[in-house]
Amino acid sequence: MRNSSFAVSFLAAALLAPAAAFAQSPGAAAPAFTLTDTAGNSVQLADYRGKYVVLEWTNPECPFVRKHYTSGNMQELQKEWGAREVVWLSINSTSTGSYEFKTPAQMAQWMQSQGAAQKATLIDGTSAAARSYAARATPHMFVIDPAGAVLYNGAIDDRRTSNPADAKVARNYVRAALTEAMAGKPVTVASTSPYGCSIKY
Amino acid sequence: MARPTFLRSTLHALSWGAALALALPCAAAAVRTEHVEAELVAARTALVPGEPLTVALRLAIDKGWHTYWRNPGDSGLPTTLEWKLPGGVAAGPIEWPAPHLLPAGPLLNYGYENEVLHLVTLTTVPDFLSGREVKLAARADWLVCKETCIPEGADLTLTLPVANAADPDPRWGKPIAAAKAALPQPLAGWQAIADGHGATIALKLVPPAGAADPGEVRFFANVIDRIEPSAPQPLAREGNGYVLTLPVATTLNGAFGKLAGVVTAANGFGGDARAATIDVALNGTVTAAPRAGLPPPPTLNLAPAPASAEGLGLALAIVSALIGGILLNLMPCVFPVLSIKVLGFATHHDTKPTLHHEAIAFAGGVILTFVALGLLLSALRAAGEQLGWGFQLQSPSVVVALAILFFVLALNLSGVFEFGQLAPSSVAEWSSRNRMVDAFGSGVLAVVIASPCTAPFMGAALGFAMAGGIAMMLTVFVALGIGMALPYVLLAWFPNWRKRLPPPGPWLARFKQLLAFPLYATVIWLAWVLGAQRDNDAVLRLFAVLLGTGFALWAWRIVRGGGARPWGIAGFVALVGTVVVAWPLFTPDTEPARAANMTSPAAAGDWAPFTPARVADLTAAGRAVFIDFTAAWCVTCQVNKRLALNTDAVRADFAKRNVALVRADWTRRDPAITQALTALGRSGVPVYVLYRPGKAPLLLPEVLQQQTVLDALATL
Repeated sequence: MRNSSFAVSFLAAALLAPAAAFAQSPGAAAPAFTLTDTAGNSVQLADYRGKYVVLEWTNPECPFVRKHYTSGNMQELQKEWGAREVVWLSINSTSTGSYEFKTPAQMAQWMQSQGAAQKATLIDGTSAAARSYAARATPHMFVIDPAGAVLYNGAIDDRRTSNPADAKVARNYVRAALTEAMAGKPVTVASTSPYGCSIKY
Repeated sequence: MARPTFLRSTLHALSWGAALALALPCAAAAVRTEHVEAELVAARTALVPGEPLTVALRLAIDKGWHTYWRNPGDSGLPTTLEWKLPGGVAAGPIEWPAPHLLPAGPLLNYGYENEVLHLVTLTTVPDFLSGREVKLAARADWLVCKETCIPEGADLTLTLPVANAADPDPRWGKPIAAAKAALPQPLAGWQAIADGHGATIALKLVPPAGAADPGEVRFFANVIDRIEPSAPQPLAREGNGYVLTLPVATTLNGAFGKLAGVVTAANGFGGDARAATIDVALNGTVTAAPRAGLPPPPTLNLAPAPASAEGLGLALAIVSALIGGILLNLMPCVFPVLSIKVLGFATHHDTKPTLHHEAIAFAGGVILTFVALGLLLSALRAAGEQLGWGFQLQSPSVVVALAILFFVLALNLSGVFEFGQLAPSSVAEWSSRNRMVDAFGSGVLAVVIASPCTAPFMGAALGFAMAGGIAMMLTVFVALGIGMALPYVLLAWFPNWRKRLPPPGPWLARFKQLLAFPLYATVIWLAWVLGAQRDNDAVLRLFAVLLGTGFALWAWRIVRGGGARPWGIAGFVALVGTVVVAWPLFTPDTEPARAANMTSPAAAGDWAPFTPARVADLTAAGRAVFIDFTAAWCVTCQVNKRLALNTDAVRADFAKRNVALVRADWTRRDPAITQALTALGRSGVPVYVLYRPGKAPLLLPEVLQQQTVLDALATL
């Protein structure tokens, strides 16, 4: 009996796999997700169809994330693009089984202490959203266009260090992608390797 | 070689002399950061102008932590070295040892654990002359990660004499030579061809004639954005060689004309080499692989274990339950009660029928309590609760109640009071009917305090019971009860066996008092369990309750013994106070379940807390995984931990075989753990399971011995 249920779940996984296969390459449709924000509200990606969306995979325990917050870089980006109607969603996909897991209240408090200005901070304690996006690192950034297609997938910038001083002098890929896309131009760098701490699956 | 001039020779001689006189051929200070000890070390005792010198950045990394290779894989950063050298000395690049695979969930990183020597070749101009010493300085930066990542770095220096001859460094000469010999080299005699097509590269490796099977092969690209780090690399035998299929990175940017990296083989490439460099032209053109989602967390891929419920027939389950029940008497939590019962037999020399009736009443108490527990458990499970055997102790209120019960029993054995003194004297009159009630009560008590223990054979039977219907469950529980009561019934029926017990005497009173101590120990243990379930405050509260209870009982004895009335009032006040203090302990714990891994022993040391996804990812990454299903309230678990799992030999073997250690702490209710236990055909702790790559998982017995664990590991 158990064998048959294993077979069923395997089959289901095999059938679902092709649907997800091309999901995160630039140009492909961004995978749907429904997560709960730190205030307890349910947030779906589909809620923001028609707007540019930035997904920021985050984890306050990660020095590479802290690099972009202590330097003020991340908050600046959030404010800069929030003012231009871009929906910024920060997602913590640290598994509830990890030492680094943060409760919604802890996440809200940390973001507040940093003066963060995203639309919402989402808790993904099963890492399901991270898996569907193949998010590898914190930070790992995605830019999604108003039609729900992935415009950019990768690192926040080209300085692969944990030094806060580098954040301001780096070439910021998220800013570049949004600027180009909003000007009606193709995104020059649409895919890079993220750098940072691994997501705590 | 240096061109000797008189002045230089003299200076060299002087520097040599100075160095020897100081007996410090080189001076380097190791820098200790939070998780790493870093230093610069040299292969030789002096720098010889014109001759290359191998130095190394040595990182001694804390256990469980790792640093990264030149290509860190899915995340992380490579270690860097920035030299500050005097003119005339130049440093080459880091000569990287072959990396290890470091799985992090579904991700894969490349790096190093324990100790690593990053070799660098220094070259010196032949006419280098900079005094009698040369100071080699470097800034080293590395990222060290376990779960958490910490960027660390150090400014390191190494001061060496400059001389025209040098000896191998007594401390580092050999390790550096060994590290150098182990560096991946181009494959001698092998042919490597890389053909790109679409989003994959076929790396064909043709061995020289007669080469042995290389075993599992893995390719590590020298730079990021070439080969997808975490993707599987299937190996196929094809014609006269092997074809390793490499998925192109999803992040490929720019031209990819050359395939350069390190290839490792589990069984080596013939000779000693297990790692070799590859640097070949890439034929054809490739495209970035489409970015796909990571594999979904498999619904805990706990393949049916050998002793699963299905494998156990009803008859076998009943026999297992019987034997389990008998062995339950010997479990650490039951032993004091066993002693009290044996004591009862030793003190009463009654007629056979009385003894028989008493034994039957005891057995009845045991069996009915088991049945009641079984009914309660099945009712709760039917209501959708994820529960298993031992569920009672997952509730802090039950733990508190048991602690009070054990404390009262212990005070009784210590002689602080007699139960008869508490009851009105008419009831205290010893009648045979009361003896029946007492025996029945002992049976109930025995089961209540046995509930934290799972005896050998019991686990499989209970797992079977939980998987079946209510009738099957009750059958198994009745069998358990019969098994547990059997030794006493036999003692009652066969008086000859009883004769072996020593005759009553003054020793009896002392023995009774002695038995109080295991019970006090049990109270200590229950307090510890409560601490793991709730917090320090709860433990303090429990101790206050015990204090009050002890005082009330003592005062009551004075009153019963004809003492002054105020003592009775004092006792009553203590009792009321006790109830008030105890009350919050019996209210539901409203605080959100604490992240158990933060405080419980589960998170200790090398053990990672259990999540189904973690186990699935580790097994998917080809790691052997050992899961310890445990709970603070499970004494057998604690004994096993101490005597088998935490021994040096077992820990060393776990480390040697790179077994991932996972601890599933069931001290509090945890549906995920209950489901995992059910999948293993069990319903209680302890359960020990070893997942072996490519083989069926192995269930270990409930009572572990060091050798059992070592034998299981030997099957990997």
